[in-house]
Amino acid sequence: MIAFNRFKLDNGLTVIHHLDPTTPIAVVNVLYDVGARDETEDRTGFAHLFEHLMFGGSVNIPDFDAPLQFAGGESNAFTSNDITNYYDTLPVQNIETALWLESDRMLSLAFTPKSLEVQRNVVIEEFKQRYLNQPYGDVWLELRPLAYREHPYKWATIGKEIKHIEEAEMEDVKAFFKAHYHPANAILCIAGNISLERTTELVNKWFGDIPASLKPERMLPREPQQKEYREKTIERAVPNDAFYYAFKMPERRSFEYYVADIISDALGREKSSRLYGKLKKELKLVTSINAYITGSMDEGLLVIDGKLSDGVTFEQLETALWETLDELNAHPLSESEAARLLIKIRTVKEFQEQGLLNRAMNLCIYELLGDANGVNEENALYQSVTAKHIQELGKTMLRRENCSVLRVKAIQA
Amino acid sequence: MMLRTTQPTVLPVQHIDFVKPHIFDVTEEVRLLWMKDVPNDTVRLDLFFDAGIIRGDKSIPAIVHSLLFSGTADKSSVEIHESIDALGGFLDTDLSFETAVVSIYCLRENIDRIAILVGEAINGLSFRESEVEDTLRSMGQKFRENQQKVRNVGQQQFRKLLFESHSDYSTLAEASDFEEGNYAAMKHYFKDHYLHGLTRITLVGNVEQDSVDALIDLFGKWAVDRIPAFGKSFETVQKRHHFPVEGAVQTAIRMGKILFPKQHPDYIGFQFLNTILGDYFGSRLMSNIREDKGYTYGIGSVIMELQNDGYFVIVTEVGKDVTEATLTEIQFELRRLQEELVSDEELELVRNYMLGQLLKSADGPYAMLDMYNSVDMHGMDLGFYDRAIAEIRAMQAPRLQELAKTYLNWEDFLIVTAG
Repeated sequence: MIAFNRFKLDNGLTVIHHLDPTTPIAVVNVLYDVGARDETEDRTGFAHLFEHLMFGGSVNIPDFDAPLQFAGGESNAFTSNDITNYYDTLPVQNIETALWLESDRMLSLAFTPKSLEVQRNVVIEEFKQRYLNQPYGDVWLELRPLAYREHPYKWATIGKEIKHIEEAEMEDVKAFFKAHYHPANAILCIAGNISLERTTELVNKWFGDIPASLKPERMLPREPQQKEYREKTIERAVPNDAFYYAFKMPERRSFEYYVADIISDALGREKSSRLYGKLKKELKLVTSINAYITGSMDEGLLVIDGKLSDGVTFEQLETALWETLDELNAHPLSESEAARLLIKIRTVKEFQEQGLLNRAMNLCIYELLGDANGVNEENALYQSVTAKHIQELGKTMLRRENCSVLRVKAIQA
Repeated sequence: MMLRTTQPTVLPVQHIDFVKPHIFDVTEEVRLLWMKDVPNDTVRLDLFFDAGIIRGDKSIPAIVHSLLFSGTADKSSVEIHESIDALGGFLDTDLSFETAVVSIYCLRENIDRIAILVGEAINGLSFRESEVEDTLRSMGQKFRENQQKVRNVGQQQFRKLLFESHSDYSTLAEASDFEEGNYAAMKHYFKDHYLHGLTRITLVGNVEQDSVDALIDLFGKWAVDRIPAFGKSFETVQKRHHFPVEGAVQTAIRMGKILFPKQHPDYIGFQFLNTILGDYFGSRLMSNIREDKGYTYGIGSVIMELQNDGYFVIVTEVGKDVTEATLTEIQFELRRLQEELVSDEELELVRNYMLGQLLKSADGPYAMLDMYNSVDMHGMDLGFYDRAIAEIRAMQAPRLQELAKTYLNWEDFLIVTAG
């Protein structure tokens, strides 16, 4: 059970306070309700590039990191297709420095041309390092547009192509900030050995005078229902053939999201999972196989990926894979299988809740979903999933007409 | 009145609570360290074996390590994993240069039973043919994949060259290692380095004393019967090497040198210098090469600890066309540390930062156990951290300059590039 308090400032900033008297370290987490899905198609990669610029100095403070380091702390951030999340950890007695820094960059950035120029280069190197300079690194750049035709999930957080990042202009940066970086679009969590009174006082002091703006209305194109089996094969100079089966799955706020998560666990999370046992251990068709979900806010993906054993064809895999999926629909879960998956979920949850930073982030994410207290209800939702739920969702989700397959054919360089 | 241009008052870290774990002698050579005060139901158990990469050739240490849960006479690997999963247990294995570790994560109500299952799985490891073949297939593929990654090629070749004075430390994996199982070599290695190779047990968790006793009984029989010997006094012939990787759009740079073991009187001082140079986000390498030039997504430097020695390495991946420019900037930063005194402002910043990080590293039973373990493995105790705090507080610029002159001479570095 994670206890918390919640209040809202007049300018619309939602604040969550979580007291933990056992640690000398405090966390300040700021979640902005903006991600790559909020970009326009000819300007992708922007939310992530923007995350980099948030460290390039704010209106009153030339450098974000140095004062935080001087206070004994450190900071980082991540961007997904849905959100951008910033976090600072530091000794609790210096928490005010983090609030000073975070509030100033919420107020306004410095917008220096140098920062934009350098971070464009850094992000281009990141693009190369993660997506181009790795075997199989570009598969998500291919898989997303195959699975999504309309919804902005069709591009990756890093962007569709390097060109979009190269072309980012200062005017775009300023407009993006104005639209998305203001109190009503943010959730702030203060966690550590600090009282609610002190938290309220400090948050009001630093964030209270930031002007309010209207929360932008999100009007994303709805992804039309998929009606056909989508298949694409690309050739790459990689050592082995690889495959990616992506199934559309229910959105984050639905109960079926949890059902889909358990289905992915049953299929391919552990070495006791169905696909691992059947395709790797019994039939020896693959050298690796995994199933997981993207965890997206809107309609996401359940993905099964893996690599073929030498000499095995994509057709052999195709047959065996669908047999295993059909088998799940016919015989959803034995009691022992269900018990195994659920105790693992419970164990993971216990470990996750140990970390203060994890707790702070999860409180913010659940608040974005509608109620921070969801973090305390999550496990019960998982535990309430039955074999019947699995079967019902499995039948609609694990079908060819709901699936996009990307195959990577290995060729000589 | 609040002033947005002025930083709120910063209070330095005054005091850090270091907690010593309970220590039990399993045998004369092997200890169990136990951190008992855990405010929740989580447990982590780590078994350390004298089975690191240096203990064999032809990738035998890696292959045997991968096979630890591959089945016994009665149980297949899937059955073993099913039984551990049914108790909510997570297994994690880690293979490094000098050590192999098997870790169990679970809830405390299940640790006794999971430990027994892990004990049975390893004790009865039978090297089933189909499992060995499956593992070799996966490892062979992974190996080929890694050969395409500049980061990997750079790291492997760097190690090989850095430790070329000691053959155990400079073996490289080859594709042929994974073509056919050498059962005799695997079994022999397994017996020597696992069934008689346990060097240490660490436990974090609010469990009963009975559970701890049971763990000692269960795993104690694998204890080493000798104190393992490790390499020291490595010598590197300074040179520069390039390893081509076809199709690469980035170059991996690994440059470094042999340093000294953790007990060395310059260790903490050098750690301070290393932080300034490349061990935090605001470091000189990051500020110059990423934040000013935009050559890379990340660059860092780190001190790697070995049992009897240590080495220092600068690590980055940069755009192919800026490899030489990056090396020039690294050289510039090394020389700057030797020629100019660090400013008071930077000195204070790094001092506070390091104390803050030390506070964080001691936060909570898991972090604290790791912290204790990392000194205990070198025959030291918590006094190491008290000395560290005192040295960090007292550090002055001239001492850093002196350390830079001693340890950061460009001519002494081995430089490996891959890409």
